[in-house]
Amino acid sequence: MKMEEMSLSGLDNSKLEAIAQEIYADLVEDSCLGFCFEVHRAVKCGYFFLDDTDPDSMKDFEIVDQPGLDIFGQVFNQWKSKECVCPNCSRSIAASRFAPHLEKCLGMGRNSSRIANRRIANSNNMNKSESDQEDNDDINDNDWSYGSEKKAKKRKSDKLWYLPFQNPNSPRRSKSLKHKNGELSNSDPFKYNNSTGISYETLGPEELRSLLTTQCGVISEHTKKMCTRSLRCPQHTDEQRRTVRIYFLGPSAVLPEVESSLDNDSFDMTDSQALISRLQWDGSSDLSPSDSGSSKTSENQGWGLGTNSSESRKTKKKKSHLSLVGTASSLGSNKKKKPKPPAPPTPSIYDDIN
Amino acid sequence: MVVSKMNKDAQMRAAINQKLMETGERERLRELLRAKLIECGWKDQLKAHCKEIIKEKGLEHVTVGDLVAEITPKGRALVPDSVKKELLQRIRTFLAQHASL
Repeated sequence: MKMEEMSLSGLDNSKLEAIAQEIYADLVEDSCLGFCFEVHRAVKCGYFFLDDTDPDSMKDFEIVDQPGLDIFGQVFNQWKSKECVCPNCSRSIAASRFAPHLEKCLGMGRNSSRIANRRIANSNNMNKSESDQEDNDDINDNDWSYGSEKKAKKRKSDKLWYLPFQNPNSPRRSKSLKHKNGELSNSDPFKYNNSTGISYETLGPEELRSLLTTQCGVISEHTKKMCTRSLRCPQHTDEQRRTVRIYFLGPSAVLPEVESSLDNDSFDMTDSQALISRLQWDGSSDLSPSDSGSSKTSENQGWGLGTNSSESRKTKKKKSHLSLVGTASSLGSNKKKKPKPPAPPTPSIYDDIN
Repeated sequence: MVVSKMNKDAQMRAAINQKLMETGERERLRELLRAKLIECGWKDQLKAHCKEIIKEKGLEHVTVGDLVAEITPKGRALVPDSVKKELLQRIRTFLAQHASL
């Protein structure tokens, strides 16, 4: 080997060139041979002519290379600025936002029935007072814009006083109740979250009222949830519906609490005398709204069955039950069993209180 | 005298080929050539030529020998100059490296 290499170095350039040419020819022949094998195999396996098509169809499928067109010769971006008109509210909405809008507007999906109810309730309340109207507008805006919805979520997570509600059995509960009472005036308007059933315990008085004017609302004995069907739902009788309305909305039965007896011990007794008396008065009642509201039955039937006499009710409540509304509703929102943010009452009531 | 020179030549060629294989340079060169030939359309040209041949002879009667005989000269001629130059340059570099040892 050593000898050969020595002799290799002794070769002149022409010899080296000849060898290089030889190697090159070898390589080319190699490639040719490989190619021939390839073609032969393709021919024998029958896929050699597969990619052949007649020139006419080749022309049909030619790739288009023109500005403004895609490779198929179609104009792209033609759907980008399309707007759809909502059949429900006749607004024109960008096509990409149309489905989310429709969900809220038509009230389909899990969450939106509540939102729709609130919208109806808001439109009913429109002629109340100036401050009220402003609040309603604010809520309306929140319905429509995606960004503010996000903001609402953020705000929820920011609110520390929600945390104790994650665990109803935590020792901090009574403390949180006090805290909540202090904050009543700036209660959060973003009170809806993604829950499936309607649990009446999480609803504020305003919500309850709007709900009961549009839905059956009879509380199931098994699930303790409110029936979300229409006012004429065949599963429940008119009597049941009336009972529920009397129970929830009767002026002497504002407290939307059925299970108060279960949690009495955990309450801070220093809260208010009214609260305590309310608890004691209502403590033993377990889904027996007819008892608590029996004296007012005739009076309450009217708006219990869906007529929009929110105005009269409002004033009534303001006059006689101002002190109770705050404590009662905060109590209600605190006593829920699910880890949801409470449903703070509509600000307007508490504006009056303070 | 002539015989011994021939012998020496043959010996030398064998040694160079051995070196090409041992170092893996031959494989590298072959891959390079393949890629370059596909890149410059050599393969497509030859394929078109093949189609003519096969249509002429009939699909059933094509043999590898026929193809090699028809394709190899054409294939050699169709290699672009740039590819040829690049390849030769690499071979010369290789030879120079191993001749100077």
